[in-house]
Amino acid sequence: MRKRIGLLLGCLIIISIFTSISVSAMTAEEIIKKRDSNEYIKTAKAESEMTIVSGNRRITKTMVSYIEGDNGLTIFTNPRDRGTKFLKRDDDLWMFFPEAEDLVKISGHMLNQGMMGSDFSYQDMMESDKLTELYKFELIGEEKIEGRNCYVLEGIAIEGKKVSYYRRKSWVDKERFVGLKEELYAQSGRLLKAMKVNKVEEIEGRWYPMESVMEDKLRKGSRTEFVIKSIEFNPKIPAGTFTLENLK
Amino acid sequence: MFLTKLAFKNLVRHRNRTLITASIIAFAIFFYILFDSLIGGMTEMSYESIINHEAGHLQVVNPKYWEEEDELPLENLISVEPELMMAIEGVERYQAASPELSFVARLNNGINELPVIGRGIIPGDFEAVFALEKQFVEGRMFSHGENKVVLGKRLADLMQLEVGDYIILLVKDKNETFNTIEAEISGLVHTGNPNVNQNIVYLPLDIVQQALNVDGQVSKVIVRLRNKDLAMRLAKELANRINAFNDQLTVYSWNELEAVSFAGAKQMGNQLILAIILLIAAIAIINTVILAALERMTEIGMMKAMGLRENEIIYTFVLESTGIGILGGIIGVILGVGGVGLFSKVGIDFAALYGFDLGSFGVPILDRIYGVWNPKAFIEVFAFGVLVSLLSSIPPAYWAADKDPIKAIYHR
Repeated sequence: MRKRIGLLLGCLIIISIFTSISVSAMTAEEIIKKRDSNEYIKTAKAESEMTIVSGNRRITKTMVSYIEGDNGLTIFTNPRDRGTKFLKRDDDLWMFFPEAEDLVKISGHMLNQGMMGSDFSYQDMMESDKLTELYKFELIGEEKIEGRNCYVLEGIAIEGKKVSYYRRKSWVDKERFVGLKEELYAQSGRLLKAMKVNKVEEIEGRWYPMESVMEDKLRKGSRTEFVIKSIEFNPKIPAGTFTLENLK
Repeated sequence: MFLTKLAFKNLVRHRNRTLITASIIAFAIFFYILFDSLIGGMTEMSYESIINHEAGHLQVVNPKYWEEEDELPLENLISVEPELMMAIEGVERYQAASPELSFVARLNNGINELPVIGRGIIPGDFEAVFALEKQFVEGRMFSHGENKVVLGKRLADLMQLEVGDYIILLVKDKNETFNTIEAEISGLVHTGNPNVNQNIVYLPLDIVQQALNVDGQVSKVIVRLRNKDLAMRLAKELANRINAFNDQLTVYSWNELEAVSFAGAKQMGNQLILAIILLIAAIAIINTVILAALERMTEIGMMKAMGLRENEIIYTFVLESTGIGILGGIIGVILGVGGVGLFSKVGIDFAALYGFDLGSFGVPILDRIYGVWNPKAFIEVFAFGVLVSLLSSIPPAYWAADKDPIKAIYHR
């Protein structure tokens, strides 16, 4: 009997060693790349809703977005902002106000402001998806987020690279390889923003975050809820969608 | 001589008419002098306000930074080497110098955020250049090495902040990466410069340099001289000295600043207003002189019938009119002296009088505005008054003298 228990224990130890080897075999970079393959969009059309909460005030905005590589076009559809458009072309961001018929390039310090009063800054929208080029990621542990096992990764900005956040901490679902939580820190170590994914759906064979909440941690009681109502991957986007002429 | 005496007698004889016409001229001259003094005072105070709170007399800076200064970039900064400071201190009429690192930040009170301009300073040096010391309404200036800030009372009120509260400044460093500066408010200031009151946060230079990752560099070195009027010449002189060992830097004097040229452009607008005042005054004078001449048509006919030649009549008329001009001018100047004297002593508080803030019109002044003495304006406007009276009397005098004496007598 004692022999059997010893054998069983031995087996368990070996199994646990093997599993830990197979887990640690996955590097931080691989995890990020796998997450990006789920979350990175080549071409898509999405309808979404953004609710800006500040204290007791809630403002909801709806929009339709077209994405193609580094280019993106967002058209607001809620009555108050109907016709307001954002166009992202590579590293430039333009905004069109229908009432003033005015086209504004958002640049410099304006990029740090919240987009349409939300907790997402224009800069957040502009961030390139290739995070592995900007940050050195490390796997720092594993945690459970709402019952799901996650890898916890920490990315520190590579010296000399122009990035908004010095450090970012990401929680990536171990099975579905989708980010469930992210914290963005200033160089001083202060937490600036925290993003949490509330709902993930499998669409066309890939797991995609459908509902998320972004909190500006420097402003008490401020958060922005972002809900994707529908998303279509690889749709046909008419030529000329991402041009300034189309914005007017 | 007879004619000159006659003209003088006429002035005395028609005392009321003389006084009324002269008073119109006097009023125009007085009004001009007063307005000129007010504008002069405003311009002078705008300059003083910019010099005393923002610009100093000279700025040692990289010309590439100067071009993009509005953006407050963290590029093209300068290193404060001992050699540079020695050159600055060696300039004629040197009083003090203060290195400064300016940057864009978002001031956060935990609930709201507001864009502000941050200025990293060395407290001792800063107070030797700028007159902030006496402007504290609460608290005091931070000492070197303290993790504290000073800001305008108005900005603090807007963000519901008080001395002893902690603020967070969200900044972007040289690599565009977010960083935060957390510090306690050590003092609140209220100055005559609205920009300082509502837009600027002062912090210790070393803390700012560290947060912005700029390796001990600064945006510029601001220099105060003992005489601001020599700034242009001394700027060139200092630039030559500095260029001997560093050709990346240049020196600008306070009158090359954008804010000063903006104030200068406003000065042009004010000159236009003054010109309009003069024009109105001229019309009033011409009108009065013509009416006076027409009123005396009978008299002119009589003078002609008694044998006076046309030229003699015109001479008498022009002399009379000039006399009125001189009298009005003297009264106007005397009133002007009194007015400007009072104005330069007591001043005028627009905010209290009319409840508006000149700051919202882009004039960097919040205090009382004091008039300035401008002797040139006194002389010019006096000469103008006399000349207009003289010239405006010629055409009606000609017209009247040209008339047939009988028709002139019975012109009604």
